[in-house]
Amino acid sequence: MFLRFVGQSIRRAPRRKAMAIGAVALGSAVATAMLGAMLDVGDRVNRELRSLGANLLVTPKSASLPVNIGGIRYDPLANDEFIPLAGVPKIKSIFWQLNITGVAPALHAQTNIEGREVPVEGVWFRRDLQAADGTHSAAGVRVLNSTWKVEGQWIDDRVPNDRTNDCLVGASVARRLSLRPGSILPLFGEPFTVAGILSTGAEEEDQVFVRLETLARLTARAGQVDAIEVGALTKPEDAFARKDPSRMAREEYDRWYCTPYITSIAHQIQEVLPMAVARPIRRVADSEGQVLSRVRGLMLLIALAALATAALTVWSVMATTVLERRYEIAVMEATGAGRGIIIALLGTEVAVQGALGGLIGALAGAKLSGMVTQAVFGVHGEAPAALVPLAVMVATAVALAGAAQPLRRALALEPAVILREGA
Amino acid sequence: MFWRFVIAAVKFRRRRLLLAFSGLAVTATLATALFSIYSDVDRKMHRQFRGYGANIAIAPAGNSQTVPLAALAEADRLGAVAAPFLYTIGRVGDERVVVEGVDFHRAAPLTSYWQITGERTAAAEQCLAGTTLAAHFHLTVGESLPLASGACVVRGIVSTGGNEDNQVILPFDRAAAGAAIHNAASVIQVRADGQKVEQTRAALARAFPQTEVRVLHAIAETEASVVLKVKAAVFSLALVIFAITTLCVTGNFSALVIERSKEIGILKAIGAAEAKIAALLLSESLVLALASTFAGYLAGLGVAYGIGRGIFADAAAVQTIGVDFAVLAPVLLVTLLVAVIATLFAASRIWRIEPAVILRGE
Repeated sequence: MFLRFVGQSIRRAPRRKAMAIGAVALGSAVATAMLGAMLDVGDRVNRELRSLGANLLVTPKSASLPVNIGGIRYDPLANDEFIPLAGVPKIKSIFWQLNITGVAPALHAQTNIEGREVPVEGVWFRRDLQAADGTHSAAGVRVLNSTWKVEGQWIDDRVPNDRTNDCLVGASVARRLSLRPGSILPLFGEPFTVAGILSTGAEEEDQVFVRLETLARLTARAGQVDAIEVGALTKPEDAFARKDPSRMAREEYDRWYCTPYITSIAHQIQEVLPMAVARPIRRVADSEGQVLSRVRGLMLLIALAALATAALTVWSVMATTVLERRYEIAVMEATGAGRGIIIALLGTEVAVQGALGGLIGALAGAKLSGMVTQAVFGVHGEAPAALVPLAVMVATAVALAGAAQPLRRALALEPAVILREGA
Repeated sequence: MFWRFVIAAVKFRRRRLLLAFSGLAVTATLATALFSIYSDVDRKMHRQFRGYGANIAIAPAGNSQTVPLAALAEADRLGAVAAPFLYTIGRVGDERVVVEGVDFHRAAPLTSYWQITGERTAAAEQCLAGTTLAAHFHLTVGESLPLASGACVVRGIVSTGGNEDNQVILPFDRAAAGAAIHNAASVIQVRADGQKVEQTRAALARAFPQTEVRVLHAIAETEASVVLKVKAAVFSLALVIFAITTLCVTGNFSALVIERSKEIGILKAIGAAEAKIAALLLSESLVLALASTFAGYLAGLGVAYGIGRGIFADAAAVQTIGVDFAVLAPVLLVTLLVAVIATLFAASRIWRIEPAVILRGE
């Protein structure tokens, strides 16, 4: 009997119910789309900010103080201070390995070109890096520095090779020596072909880049690197991140360790590379956190504003539907239905409408948020699946809350009063 | 007569209209808040990127080792922040160290990312020490560093993760005097407004052809792309919200017309033309829309102010919280448009109402 009542009520007035369901669906579509897109924007911007280059620098622990200006060393090189090349893949095996977006090892040297010392860097350009657990990822300076521009050709070093003498020349060096792609440049007494001219706007323009293996051969330092640049997706530093980990309680330390702060990632890199020091590059890391937390905050507040609106809409629609049925409620009361049964009947109806509308809206909203991500960031985005059941639950709850007040009022009034007034 | 009708309709159906009013007011609130944020978001986001420091560097070209300090005045004239940096080799005992000369006053906005224990500036007989250098010489704040060119008292320990960590940082004038360099620097760092980077670079390059003026691609491009994307995200979300509020308001107004079917039936029966009835409803909605625009505008300013304050307040001076009065016009336009679209949708029913059927009570 109860179910027949509810079923009939929905079947007999399909248009009105459709409108109510439609309104709930709209509300929950906005809510889902906003949440989906907003949750995503922070992550996307975080990735976008990685085009700034490395935010961590790993260097060997050193007893001496490096004396270098613009990449040129003024002190003799201590040859026993280096990071073994074999240690590079270990960076991709730390707790936050998935947050490491790029790793670029480098070997430093310098040579005299036309009476002036020029820094020469041996690097990986783009290399496939296999971590200990078998996962592959791209590594090298191209991966870390998407804004570097090359006139001519990048060097293709996917296959390690220490016999190919080609190089990228910084724009400033190229101008001074009138080099063009294809020119020959003597380095360390061997002729090198200039593959391309590199412009970055920073001190790389005063340097020459060659293959890591080639430089290792020329300087007799096979299997060694002087620095590893690391790009990591991090959580903006907050007050907790600035605490000294060595003075944290066990529980605090675990929380710090398991949060991708730049400092905890640096700490984990030092754990796998005990001969090295990993330091955050403050210029990139700090400002990154600042921009990121602003973007996240902005998006969160917009989402909250939209959520409040959506809730208001659903609330008012449900209030109207119950208001319209006061006459019906009065008739039921007059014919002897108890309050409990009336509340149960209408409550079920409202809940069914809320849940149905919520489901339709959540599915549409998930699509919509994907479209927004696609339009803005040009990548396929997907709202997290957990949002759909959440949206259905919230929509149902808000619908019920909206219906509660007018229902209470209708029940409080004498049926006779409502019936006399007419629907 | 026409207006009496409109006013009476508003007066006698207060509760129902309140619902329509609040729907529109919410639209106006959202429109105001989103327009205010949108019109300002790039300025605010660009401000966030100031933390990255310089986006242009003036470096020596060819065989020259320095750049003229005259470039500072030119950068100032262009509205950019500029600071000179000088790098020389000094000595502590028999060890060589890099000595960096910094004009602390000019460099402050460019070096906000330096993490410093102690003071951020140093006077003539004082200096800052990089964290690695300080550890190497076992120095703490307040101790004296025996530089060959004259001892200095360490006022602060600098940590940047970059070259500064290995250097002694002296006031620019003292470093320049020590290296016998006059009116020149190793490099001049410039922070130009995010939207005028290329203009500033070109102007500086024209004024100082003997130097190399470079745009730091990583910072300039990342800044541009992030600001653009955040702006686009706010814009597309605003569009989604508007589309959906319009639909909701339309539903609201349709309900108004359905409710008044009887009244419309009577009007038709006594000979009112459909167009006239539609005009009646439309003017009712416009009155509503006007009222809700102002209510929503005020509320929206509050929301925008709150968001601006909550997120961007500490970033800069009071002006960032500025509320834009120019958004009133577009908000009015949007609200009226929503009201008109909703009413026209609803009004299309007028033509379909059969007086006889309605008045019989079905």
